[in-house]
Amino acid sequence: MIQYLVSILTEGAIFGIMALGLNVIWGWSGDFDLAYYGYVALGAYMTLVLTIGQPTPPAEYVLGLQLPYLVALAGAVVSSALMGLIVGLIALRHLRGIYFSIVTLGAVYVLYVIAGQYVPLFDGYNGLFGLFNPMGDALGLDYQSYPYFFLGFCLFIFILVFIFMARVSGSRFGLALRSLREDERAAAAFGRDIYQLKLKAYVLGAAFGGLAGGLFAAYLSAFNPSAWSPIEAIILYSAILVGGKGNIKGVVLGVVVMAMVVQESTRYLNDVPGLPIAFLLSLREIVIGAVLVLFLRFRPQGLLPERRYVDRLPQDRVDPGGGTLLSRGLAAFNRRFRPARDRDRRSTRAVSPLPAPEAAVDPPLPALEVTADVPVSRPLAQERPGVPTSVSAALVVEGLYKHFGGVVAVDRCSFRAQKGQVTGLIGPNGAGKSTAIDLISGFKLADAGTVFFEGTAIQGLPPHRISRLGLIRTFQTPREWPGLTVLENVLLARWDPEREALWRSLIGPGLTQRSTSKSELGRAREILAEFGLDKLVNERAGNLSGGQKRLVEFARIRMAEPQLVILDEPMGGVNPVLGERMAMAIEGFIASGTSVIIVEHNLPFIERVAHQVIVMSQGAVIATGPFESLRSNQSVIDAYLGEVPL
Amino acid sequence: MNQILLTLGFGLVTAAILSLSAVAFTLEYAVTNVANLSHGEILTIGAYAAYLVHRSTGNAFLAALGAAAAGGVVAVAMHITVIDRFVRRGVGTMPTFIATLGISFVIQNVLVIIFGAANVAYTIPQGDPHQVGPFLWTSVEEEIIISALAITAVLYVIITHTKFGKALRAVFQNRDLARVTGINVRLVGAATWFLAGLVAGYAGFILAESVGTFNPYFGFSFFLITLTATVAGGLGKPFSTMAGALIVGIVLEFTGGYISASYELAFAFAILAIIILVRPRGLFTNAGRAIFE
Repeated sequence: MIQYLVSILTEGAIFGIMALGLNVIWGWSGDFDLAYYGYVALGAYMTLVLTIGQPTPPAEYVLGLQLPYLVALAGAVVSSALMGLIVGLIALRHLRGIYFSIVTLGAVYVLYVIAGQYVPLFDGYNGLFGLFNPMGDALGLDYQSYPYFFLGFCLFIFILVFIFMARVSGSRFGLALRSLREDERAAAAFGRDIYQLKLKAYVLGAAFGGLAGGLFAAYLSAFNPSAWSPIEAIILYSAILVGGKGNIKGVVLGVVVMAMVVQESTRYLNDVPGLPIAFLLSLREIVIGAVLVLFLRFRPQGLLPERRYVDRLPQDRVDPGGGTLLSRGLAAFNRRFRPARDRDRRSTRAVSPLPAPEAAVDPPLPALEVTADVPVSRPLAQERPGVPTSVSAALVVEGLYKHFGGVVAVDRCSFRAQKGQVTGLIGPNGAGKSTAIDLISGFKLADAGTVFFEGTAIQGLPPHRISRLGLIRTFQTPREWPGLTVLENVLLARWDPEREALWRSLIGPGLTQRSTSKSELGRAREILAEFGLDKLVNERAGNLSGGQKRLVEFARIRMAEPQLVILDEPMGGVNPVLGERMAMAIEGFIASGTSVIIVEHNLPFIERVAHQVIVMSQGAVIATGPFESLRSNQSVIDAYLGEVPL
Repeated sequence: MNQILLTLGFGLVTAAILSLSAVAFTLEYAVTNVANLSHGEILTIGAYAAYLVHRSTGNAFLAALGAAAAGGVVAVAMHITVIDRFVRRGVGTMPTFIATLGISFVIQNVLVIIFGAANVAYTIPQGDPHQVGPFLWTSVEEEIIISALAITAVLYVIITHTKFGKALRAVFQNRDLARVTGINVRLVGAATWFLAGLVAGYAGFILAESVGTFNPYFGFSFFLITLTATVAGGLGKPFSTMAGALIVGIVLEFTGGYISASYELAFAFAILAIIILVRPRGLFTNAGRAIFE
């Protein structure tokens, strides 16, 4: 009985490491990687060929170096990480979603076929064996006490891995990874190199797969193609899903439930007479498959959903996410099973309605202080009549050209936007405004043309590089990171390579960074208060209303403090009260040194905020100038009234 | 020259089976936007059904019908019990995709419980090989090719010339828009999955017939090649998919014949990796390579 317990605990610790590794890739980075079990297998194979001796014919395999087990374990980690790097370089470059999964499925089958068929590598279907009780001889352990030692060893490594994962989970690196999972475009728009970040997560996960594989090889003392199948990753996936994707405690719980309880309970069916052993094995897999489907359908967040950082405001010390594990679980359970009507009422209370006009004026908002000298009702353009002619251009676009098939979307478009000004970009639907923005911000590649931002040529640069230079854009539909809190959304607007480095999450923040985080947190709270979102800091951004999401987007810009922001139809679906708030926010941008380009169909709004207006039609600029001058411009009128040949 | 033609002949047989499997897979994708990882199991069930019918009646034609019927029923069952519920709930493509992997796991193991994991020998007298044009085919292989062509023709008529086909294409283009224009999206989905199941079940039968043995995992390994062919052609586009199957089937037969047959799966995925890197949306579609385009 004790031996049995020792063996399932050892297995559980190894599965736990595997699942925690996969959680980096799937839970945080958000990629459904079917190659994962290949990294485990490669780790196991490599550990064996590094520790066992030279092959005796007819057996054939590479290496056979008889290295110490710990060195071999390191070798396993490195080789799995390398394979992860190669697969990741190919699969993460252009592919997402099911295409990524299909390619990773292919990669693991290539490994499986080669391991099984190419005999000189790992002795084909015979596989490798002969790793008996590693480290046992050196420590003078006999075969009876060895399992206890090995259990301790696996648990020790498991705990180290868990601590590592806990640090990564709470680090800025972990937060940045989650932003990729939530919305990649927004992550790129705020400076994240999505390819590099995803690749890092992928290689990290693969390395832990290799580590678990190395332990698994020692546990089994042998490894061959019948000991694994690429699809075994499904057990890990079901464990992560049941426990709680993205939550490392949940992942461990999932391993306990799936790998240990489900695996082990089926063993007792042995006692039922007349059941063949194959039946039991199949039954277990049926349970695993069914659990996967049922959880995906009814509880995709798992038993312990991913927790987000909860900001404790001075006036609101009650921590909604706090309490013991049990009470949280009960609260989550109650929330889930509360009648729908009750739930609705609750959510409207939690997400407070937009502040009414009086409410917006009533509390002294910090935003007003910044622009206190600017009367709110008067157009900004009139307020600053004497914009010096010497101001340099923030953005110069020359001859931008892009076609899709036979459609020329942007046709030799040239314009400039001055520093310290609001430049409106208007034009009828299909004029090429949004495409032009995509080209400028690097989200689409131009066929021809140059873009100078603050004197630097930026055409052809990827979005994150442009964003890091200080040009940030928004999108037509708000692109918040829905699963992260409003506060996290705002915090992540600032890209900080120092604090987002993976190694930072290992050694923890330095003193300077600690103070930056603190001041940053303060700044984020301040900005959220400015936008009237201070009651919603801990709300997940995905639960907000459309207008509130717009405000979060503006708050992110405030936080990022770019030199230039391009707003793509910020007024889309926004009510007039909120529009006023946005106009004020735009004034705030200018006051804090951020120039603005704004694409908008709401012409009164453009008239209200813009110093200069650029009119596009059919991909080209047809007029520029202050808004009043365009009223009498015949080509502008034609463009808007439909004098355009269709 | 003779060797090349011989290999090409085999390649066409593989391609014929592959194209049926691939077109069924792509139809499932087209109406639900779900890449069905349990597609291979429809083929497996088709093979078992054919085997059972054949053993009890001794009639190959009835066996083929049985395979198709079983495939159709299983596919509709998948659609009604899981896929449609996921799609209607709007849980997104990925969770549904993952769920189909779970279904695949369940079906494989149910089959293991019923039939055992061992290989079932399904030997049909193949007939003597004879010259057909430049190729050397047995009568079974001939039947495979002719039936595949006939099914393709029928599918072509259904998809391009019937009201149902029009609805199917509309649902593929824009599910919500199709619904507001009065198309019964769920019915079209179920009907399409039934049609795909018929084709896939039949493909399972001819695959078992040409391979000679099968087990509960047999459909899944063929599904991996199906996946290559489908993605190579263009997921969701029935006739591009079939063209992809033709290419992949022939290429596989050549690499298998001239290099080594045991690496077939590895070759299939190598082809897939290359295609997907150059043209992520398939050989016959024009789409940008960058993630954001």
